[in-house]
Amino acid sequence: MKFLKKYKKPIIVIAIIVVVVIVLGALKPTEQEMLSCASPEMQKMIREDATRTRKRVTVTYESLIVVNYLSLSTSGAQEISEHYVGFVRNVYPADEGPMKVVGQMVNYTYRMLGCGENLMHGAKLTILLTTLTVIFGLLLGTVLALGKISKNKILSGISSGYIFFFRGTPLLIQLFVVYFTVPGIFGFAWRDIFPASDAEAVYKGAFTAALIAFALNSGAYCAEIVRSAIQSIDKGQYEAAKALGMTYGQTMGLIIVPQSIRRMIPNVSNEFIMILKDASLVFAISLMDITTISKNIMTSEGSYLVFIPALVIYLVITAFFGFIFNKIEKRFSVYE
Amino acid sequence: MKKKVMAILCAAGMLVSMTACGAAKPADASGAATDAAATDAAVATDTSAATDTADAAGATIDLGDAKFLTEGVLNVGAEVGYPPFEDFAEDGTTPIGYDIDIITAVADKLGLDVNIINTAWDGIFAGIGVNYDVACSAVTITPERKETMLFSDPYINNYQAVVLPADSDQKIESFNDLDGMTIALQKETTSDILMSDYKSTGTIDIQIVANEKITSCFTQLENGEVDAVVVDSTVADGFINSSDAFKIAYEDQAEAEQFGIAMAKDNTGLQTAINQALKELESEGYIQECYDYWFGSAAE
Repeated sequence: MKFLKKYKKPIIVIAIIVVVVIVLGALKPTEQEMLSCASPEMQKMIREDATRTRKRVTVTYESLIVVNYLSLSTSGAQEISEHYVGFVRNVYPADEGPMKVVGQMVNYTYRMLGCGENLMHGAKLTILLTTLTVIFGLLLGTVLALGKISKNKILSGISSGYIFFFRGTPLLIQLFVVYFTVPGIFGFAWRDIFPASDAEAVYKGAFTAALIAFALNSGAYCAEIVRSAIQSIDKGQYEAAKALGMTYGQTMGLIIVPQSIRRMIPNVSNEFIMILKDASLVFAISLMDITTISKNIMTSEGSYLVFIPALVIYLVITAFFGFIFNKIEKRFSVYE
Repeated sequence: MKKKVMAILCAAGMLVSMTACGAAKPADASGAATDAAATDAAVATDTSAATDTADAAGATIDLGDAKFLTEGVLNVGAEVGYPPFEDFAEDGTTPIGYDIDIITAVADKLGLDVNIINTAWDGIFAGIGVNYDVACSAVTITPERKETMLFSDPYINNYQAVVLPADSDQKIESFNDLDGMTIALQKETTSDILMSDYKSTGTIDIQIVANEKITSCFTQLENGEVDAVVVDSTVADGFINSSDAFKIAYEDQAEAEQFGIAMAKDNTGLQTAINQALKELESEGYIQECYDYWFGSAAE
């Protein structure tokens, strides 16, 4: 109840938006209604295609929350292309003028978000890769940080060496090594770790390689974040814990690490945003994230407008995760 | 003391590594330029190239009203990294390849110096008339591209080819036989356009893996990440010449593609001059000689 009271206004606003979106979404024309607006010539070609071995018509139907977009284009000697935008029971031709821009925007946003594609595509890929990387990176980083500050010379040497190596070499080259060099030397293929019947195995394989490279790299950076947070805790606390008869493990697990979490959150949030943008490096191993898709659209269609929705998508993602990190930071502030 | 010695050693090492790179001299740019017409006699051209036709030896073609970014220099955009059309020589800085030889010979005919500008394939056309005068980088002449730029006459024919590992027993008789396979190709090339069309029209169901560089596609094929590579037949020939890990399973003989030199839409003067140069090179047999040198027996 307290929660409801605190956020009364935002909840009402969100509820109104949701209702409007649902109503508008329900009112948009269906794919069949949009298809029936196509020119008779195009309709004929679509019907003929059903029996052809080399089909000619590309039908792109994209439904984006409240609007939908239909693009029909043919290849071969007879080239026709038609575009339609559907909004609230109406279908508008989008071959020229402002409707064309609207259609393009819907199309670009749809493609960059990776709608109608698997998880390893567009914004979904960016978010998934970044989130998993930060989680694995933090786990690995904590282990490395504890290793580095430990009194055991071997442990500390290994951790320091690891951090030196992964911070001292570029992520792109690490990605190449994980995806091309390692399987090349050991004679396996990344897609073979998934069943052969899986048509998307090649993307999953590439994603696995990317996640491994990103997590190994991020682990090194997170290690330094965790280490600086741990070492920023006052020495008196170690002494107090020792005086109470706690072991090193108890001191770390119960006293030091919980306190240091709050101190590392701003840096982790920074690291998160860095990875979010570095995720575009996956272009090198044939995955398509937001940046790669927008670049592709730019080259194939020569449209410079595509970068505007790209920026908006990135900002929405960072705003969302920034909000979450803020909440986590507040949550852990109870110790201070 | 020990620390000081280390510091001096480190500094010395840095210095050596920085200056060492200056030693290597790039080899002769045109590997196949054995032809007499392609000597560097024409390199030392005077300014005002538009009017001087007799001054430079070998430069016999009137440049008319051709426009250039730099006087006396033909700036050429190429995605270096597409062997055997364009690639870096062993020294890593000298561009070599079929396209490089052709455009160097063309420039010699026009009495111009050649300046190869390495550029990414993505956006290569946007740089025409801005960063370089022409793009000569295995550019296929297509109706869509003709709407935004001018092309010279074609200087080589090309087909789309399917490359498989040498030990594969797959039979490919048409692109429809690729159904259900995972294929690699270079982004935004004619192979990409063709295969995307096969996929988007629903003709066949394939997984397309698009790379920035064609060399990545062949590494993926070798590692077993993909089942096949769809690529220009001329490039496939080059790869098969240099490695016995691959074989060409299918060439789409029906739809030949032609490569041309691309230039800005308004540069008709340059188009006329380049076409004239290509015609002369053709009749002198230089184009055939170049072709034999780079594509060898596999091209027959």
